Parts: sequence; structure tokens; C-alpha cells
Amino acid sequence: MLPQRMKKAVADNPKKLANLIDLVNLPSTVRDFVGQSQTSRLGCFMRVWSYIKSNNLQDPSNKNLVNCDDKLKSILLGKPQVELAELPALIRLHFPKEPK
Amino acid sequence: MGKIPPSFRSAVSTPFAARKPPRPPPSSLAAADSPKPLLHFPRKPARAPRKTRTPDSLPEPAPALPQLRSLFQSPDLSEAKKVFSSVVATSRSQLDPRLHNSLLQSYAAVASVRDSIALLNHMVKASPTFSPERSTYHVLLSQSCNAPDASLASVRQVLNLMVNRGVAPNQATADVAVRSLCSSGHEDEAVELIRELSSKQSPPDTYTYNFVVKHLCKTRDLSTAYNFIDEMRESLGVKPDLVTYTILIDNVCNTKNLREAMRLVSVLSEEGFKPDCFVYNTIMKGYCMLSRGSEVVGVYKKMKEEGVEPDLVTYNTLIFGLSKSGRVKDARKYLGIMVEAGHFPDAVTYTSLMNGMCREGNAIGALRLLEEMESKGCSPNSCTYNTLLHGLCKSRLLEKGIELYQMMKSGDMKLETAAYATFVRSLCRDGRVAEAYEVFDYAVESKSLTDVAAYTTLESTLKWLMKAREQGLAV
Repeated sequence: MLPQRMKKAVADNPKKLANLIDLVNLPSTVRDFVGQSQTSRLGCFMRVWSYIKSNNLQDPSNKNLVNCDDKLKSILLGKPQVELAELPALIRLHFPKEPK
Repeated sequence: MGKIPPSFRSAVSTPFAARKPPRPPPSSLAAADSPKPLLHFPRKPARAPRKTRTPDSLPEPAPALPQLRSLFQSPDLSEAKKVFSSVVATSRSQLDPRLHNSLLQSYAAVASVRDSIALLNHMVKASPTFSPERSTYHVLLSQSCNAPDASLASVRQVLNLMVNRGVAPNQATADVAVRSLCSSGHEDEAVELIRELSSKQSPPDTYTYNFVVKHLCKTRDLSTAYNFIDEMRESLGVKPDLVTYTILIDNVCNTKNLREAMRLVSVLSEEGFKPDCFVYNTIMKGYCMLSRGSEVVGVYKKMKEEGVEPDLVTYNTLIFGLSKSGRVKDARKYLGIMVEAGHFPDAVTYTSLMNGMCREGNAIGALRLLEEMESKGCSPNSCTYNTLLHGLCKSRLLEKGIELYQMMKSGDMKLETAAYATFVRSLCRDGRVAEAYEVFDYAVESKSLTDVAAYTTLESTLKWLMKAREQGLAV
């Protein structure tokens, strides 16, 4: 039942969808990582996740952990190691809610 | 679909015709008494072919045809005339009228109605053997209706042309025009055209009529369709038939307006129609949507009483409805009855039943049913797998779920929203976040879901996971 409810929630709540896919001006740290001055939260997540995959940054003994390299550290609060589970939340930090 | 007559099939299989969007087959009076097609929803049977010649008697139009695609690229009339002359000059044998039609159609697709008519005139002048027949005008007509800025003016222009040339428009003409107008989104014009034609003593036949009703139901609200029916009844004496009622009942059932459906059924019997298998199936589907199992069985029993033989769709609907309302045992029983009656259960039947078992939490049973189904030579489809994946995850049989997912992945099957979400949640709950990410990747790659939908699910699941961890609940 949840997905249907969620679909409805997304449809009912265009703002929620908007803050996921609208292009946003990026702060300088993220801009350096992404290589663009604007991106959406979804685009940023995809970028970071594909960066992790292509550079084999997942911890070999526990795939749920990511060992950050310097470049990744610069956008993920400087943590040496992050969990995959907190990745969306960390990326969200760069996309603050717009004041009403 | 019904059987396609051989001569029509040959027309369809020419490379040129295959490229074009199929034009609606023109209706003919002969088809009015053709048998109903064996489909869930009433459709028009394949009509008597427009071209009455048999393939053997045709001269070979093959050499010219492959070039047709690229022939007319500009709507310029003089260019088109030159192209036509070159085609005439290069062909050895006498040209087939069909070739003329094809040429005209391919030109009309890019040019205006006026220019197309001009080209037709040029064709008639240039090749004296060619005399335009009704189908030639139908080509023009359907193109003039399909134009994005179609207006009744251009349709009238073609119709007047037909009358002036001594080819009276008939019901097939009306059918072509109305269908083309409807499929290009000009319903109002189509209705207007029917009014006009009716005032000229050529009311639409039942096929055209039902097509319009169905189209109005689909694209407009119900009252528009009712108004159309009332208008037709009052001004023309065209009464809705059994197919019309089936369309209407189907439509109101889809909007879960069962009270209106029941009213229609009672109107049906007042009008002296005896409901057939299609009507019963449609009503049954309506009850299924509301998960009212006992009413579903009631419809089945009524069918039996009235002596209407249930078909495969009836049984599938019945089993689906019973499974949905949690009466799997009964559903299983009807699977047996169905086989006894000589129907082969298909993937839909089994998937409905599996869905019911999964709802009961009996995912293992559903998995066993999959084996049974395969052993009977019925191959599961992606819906079957999605149902199973959903069910296995719900019953916390994650390992089996992963196994199934690997199978789906190797078969390039798409994930459905519900199955994806449940699977991702189960993986995360089990602390296998990396695998959840992998499933997310597969969902995006295989285009099962949009990026947004896939990500929203993943994000909210992870958010929930973090919260649960904070409270010391999950792993």
C-alpha cells in the first residue's frame, strides 16, 4: 500500500517533487565535485553514487560503508567513512529548504 | 482480432502500408451481421476488405513501392507532379489503382488537402486508365481529418468532391471520417459531422456509433456520452445496442460507480436485451474492483442460471475477484471447475491466485503454484514474478526473494512499483543497504520506474531506517 500512498503524496505535493528535481545553484564545494554550477538534488545524488561505484569506494568487507577519498570528503562533512544509508541525508544538507 | 481476409492481409504487408498508421477499415453493410469477435471488450471485427481484388490478379507493384517512403518529402505540388510522372514513366506494367492510392496517401501525409486534391486531379488527367474509386477519396478524407488543424471545412470539401464526381459517400465514408477525427482528438467535430450526415439521410451504422460512444466515454465525461446517445435516439431513432451498453457499463465500473452500472443493467433488461458473456464479465470486473467476492460469485451463478456459457475471461475475473477479497480456497476451487470446463488457465489466472495466496501470507504456497504452473506448460510473465517478489518480501522470506530477483534480472524483467518498494524496504530492514542500492540501480537502468520514483522510495526507506536505528529498533 505504501508505494501507492507515496505516489499520491508526490502527486499531491508538487513542492516535494520540485525540491527533488529543480535545478539549484550549488555552493562552491559541491560545484567543484559535480563540475556544474547547477544541478538538482536527484542529479547530485546520482553523481555521487556513480562516483562511489566507479572509484570502488565501498568498503570491501562491508559494502554498506563508503571510504571517502579526499574529493568525496569535501562534500560529505569531511567524514572519513560514511554509511550508504545516510548518503541521501548528507546530500540533502547541501540543498537547504527554501524559506517560505 | 477476427480473421483478416487474405486479400486485405496482402495490402497490410506491403512495406509502404506497414509504415503508415493503420487506417480504420471502412465499414460495409455486409459486415453488420458478422459474428462478434471473441474479445473481452467488444471490438469491430475485421471488415470486408476495401480492395476486392485477389492478390493473384494484381500486377506487380513491387518495383515502385520501396521507393515510396522517400518520394514525397516536400508539400510542394509541382515537385509531387514530377515525382508522379517519373513513377508512371519508370513502371513497365500498367499501374494498379492501389498504387495511385498509396502515392496519394503518402503525398497527403505531408501536404494540405487542397494540394492533395490537385494531385488527384493531375493523376486522373495524366493516366487515363485510372479512375478514382471510393477508397481513393477515403484516403483523402482520412488525411484531411488527421491534420492537426482539422476542421469540418476540409472534410466537407472532400465530401463535396466525392458527390460531384458521382461517388456518393456511404456509411464507410462516415466511419472513416469519424474515426480519423476522433483519433486526432476532434470529438466535437466528429459529432457535428454525424449530425450533418444524418440530416442528409445517411445516419451512422452501429459500429461508428459505438466507436463514438466509447471514445466519448474515454476522453470526456459520462454526461457527454449520455447526451450523445439521447440526441441520437431522439433525432435519428438510433438506439443503443448491447455493445453500447457494455461500453457504458465498463466505463462506469472503471470509475467505481456501481450504482450507475446497476441502473444500466436494469435499463438493459427493460429495453429487452439479454445480457451476454461480455456484459456479465464487465459487471463482474466492476465488483472485483470493490473486492466484493460474494457478488462476484453471484454474477457467475446468474450467468449459469441464464444459460450463458462463461469463457476464459469470466473465470479469470472470478478467480481474481475471489483472491482479491481473500477467498483463496474458493478461487482454487474455481480453478478446478475452469479446467473441467475445458479452459486452459493462463498466466493471468495463476498470477491472480498467487496474489491471493500472498495476501494470506502463504508465499510458500504461491511459490509452489509457480512450479505447478510451469509444469503445466504455462510460462509466467513479469507480473507473476513481481507478485511473488512482493509476497515473499512481505512474508519475510528475503532469501527466496533475492533468488527470485536474480531470476528476474537475468530475464530482463521490469520491476513494478510495489514490488520494488517492498523489496528495497526488506533489504534495508535486513541491513543490506548496498544491495538495496544495487536494486535501485537495476530499477533505473531497466527503466522499470522513473528516476524520481525509484529515488523517492529509496530515500524515504533510508530515512525510516536511520530513524529506527536512532531509537535502537532495527539493525
